[in-house]
Amino acid sequence: MRVSKYFFLLLIPLLFATSCKKTIIKESVYDEVIYQLDTLPVYSSNLEKNREKSDIQFISILYADLFGKAIAGNITGELSELKLSFGDKVVLNQMVVSAFINDPDIKIPDDQQMRNDPEKFVRDLYRKFYLRTPTAYEQYYLVKLINEDPGLTAEHFYTAFALSNEYSFY
Amino acid sequence: MNRRKFIKNAGLITAGTLAAPYILPTGRLFAATGARKVNHVVFILFAGGIRNQESVKKQYLANQGLATEGNVMPNILRGAQPGANLVYQPWNTVLNNPLQESGTLFPEMRYKQGPTGHYNGHTVAMTGNYTETGLNININPEYPTVFEYYRKHSDPARSALNAWWLSEGLGPYPSLNYSRHPDYGAIYGANYMRPATTIGNLGQEYLSTASDYQPDDVSRINMLRNFLDSNFENQAGPVSGIANNDKDRERIRSFVKGLLSGSNPIEWPTPTGGTQGLTGDLINIGAAWKVMEAFQPELMVINTFNLDVCHSNFSQYINFLHRADHGVGWLWNKIQGPEGAALGLKDDTVMILMPEHGRNADPNNVNDNNGLRAYDHTSDANSRQIFSLIAGPPGVINQNQSVGTGNVPVGESIDIIPTIAELLGFRDQVPSGLLPGRVLHEALA
Repeated sequence: MRVSKYFFLLLIPLLFATSCKKTIIKESVYDEVIYQLDTLPVYSSNLEKNREKSDIQFISILYADLFGKAIAGNITGELSELKLSFGDKVVLNQMVVSAFINDPDIKIPDDQQMRNDPEKFVRDLYRKFYLRTPTAYEQYYLVKLINEDPGLTAEHFYTAFALSNEYSFY
Repeated sequence: MNRRKFIKNAGLITAGTLAAPYILPTGRLFAATGARKVNHVVFILFAGGIRNQESVKKQYLANQGLATEGNVMPNILRGAQPGANLVYQPWNTVLNNPLQESGTLFPEMRYKQGPTGHYNGHTVAMTGNYTETGLNININPEYPTVFEYYRKHSDPARSALNAWWLSEGLGPYPSLNYSRHPDYGAIYGANYMRPATTIGNLGQEYLSTASDYQPDDVSRINMLRNFLDSNFENQAGPVSGIANNDKDRERIRSFVKGLLSGSNPIEWPTPTGGTQGLTGDLINIGAAWKVMEAFQPELMVINTFNLDVCHSNFSQYINFLHRADHGVGWLWNKIQGPEGAALGLKDDTVMILMPEHGRNADPNNVNDNNGLRAYDHTSDANSRQIFSLIAGPPGVINQNQSVGTGNVPVGESIDIIPTIAELLGFRDQVPSGLLPGRVLHEALA
């Protein structure tokens, strides 16, 4: 005998009406995690990054990384429009990054802090921008640069990381 | 072999090498490079949808039930301005002689195929191929743009600093600086800017505090970036837009910074040089001159667009038409004046004007404050009627002539790109089948 599927549809409310009533206790447990400012590594290697950020993703993530807070919707819209208005995105990104870095609300390490502990400075940069730990070679090379070139500034590093190819991927 | 015979044979071989088609290492056969006729071309898409009635036919309000005719484009076209029923604020002309006298006018060109949409019209004009796509989406065109032909086929290859596209508005128009054609694309694209945004309020808000990097700063940032990029296998793709080299990028960054800070002040193409009467079209034209001044690009395409107000306000359409005409005259005056001469642009630049499409013969139901009826553009025969003016130095462009009539139209939208290719000497290098239009030889001396 062929039973219409509508028969089962009619049966469903009946089952709910006649089933045992089970008390569900919803317990919300709030842990006491303190969210610190340090960024934890997400990637074990940059090989895991193979998707390019969209313009909006790039702007939102950059803003969050530099200002330490989520970007407001109107700023996202305005920056997206600004990016659309210029063909060479590298030039525009460079100017946006530079303007962000010059914002008084941005706290980047000063040059003395960078030179006092270049290992920590480099490690923090990789965590902030790349969400990973630098390789031994990356750490060695950049620390060596800091030690050998007195003209290098923290702003140079922040700008270069924000404009690098790896920062454009996730 | 004696000396005489050796010289004769060597001469024949050299002549044969120059005259015969080349076979590239890739196996591609092409004719020898064509000679350039000029070194600079400015293509102004006089866009927003302009009817021939109010432009080349100079009918002014004759189609509105008023007897007044006249020329509201006195810098471009010959003819007296309307003497009565003025719905626009007349500005003094910039040029002593209208641009028409410095070139060849095609008063009856045709936009033959596809919807008469703004983006379609722009795409057709800038790729030299008709398109049936009616979507206004932000996607690069299917066929290569004129910039890609120019950059790929010029010899020696030209950097993107030589090719610029400036648009009055955003929307899909930023996508017209390169195509998604597999043989061309971003690496042959043009630099793009919408000046009203980049150097307008948003640019001031977000870019003006960018550092003025010194060359040492730039080289250090680039050195660090190169190191970081060398440790990452992926390259930022097309989303990164047009690719300039580091040196050119620095020039562009410095240029934008100068405009934002006012250290490179902008003179606007208005009667006073200030912002009174400034329109979006005039912002674009004023910025175009700054680009020409800074980089002397060989190929620049700019558009005007405010005339699209004709959907709802005919009087303002006339007003904007008159101001856009002023802007064109102002730009030509810059090119041909002492500043242009100092930059090597004078008598070495061809300027081409063409609307992207026209507008309907019949008005819609909207009346403006003067009771004048507005016009849409829905692909009727009238909206396919356009004009073009090709102006340039004598000896390159035929002067003061008009080609074509209503009964015998001459020229199509798709003919401008082949004509530009001919002027800049790369026409022969464009693979066959890509450009269906023809060179407008009637304009060439």
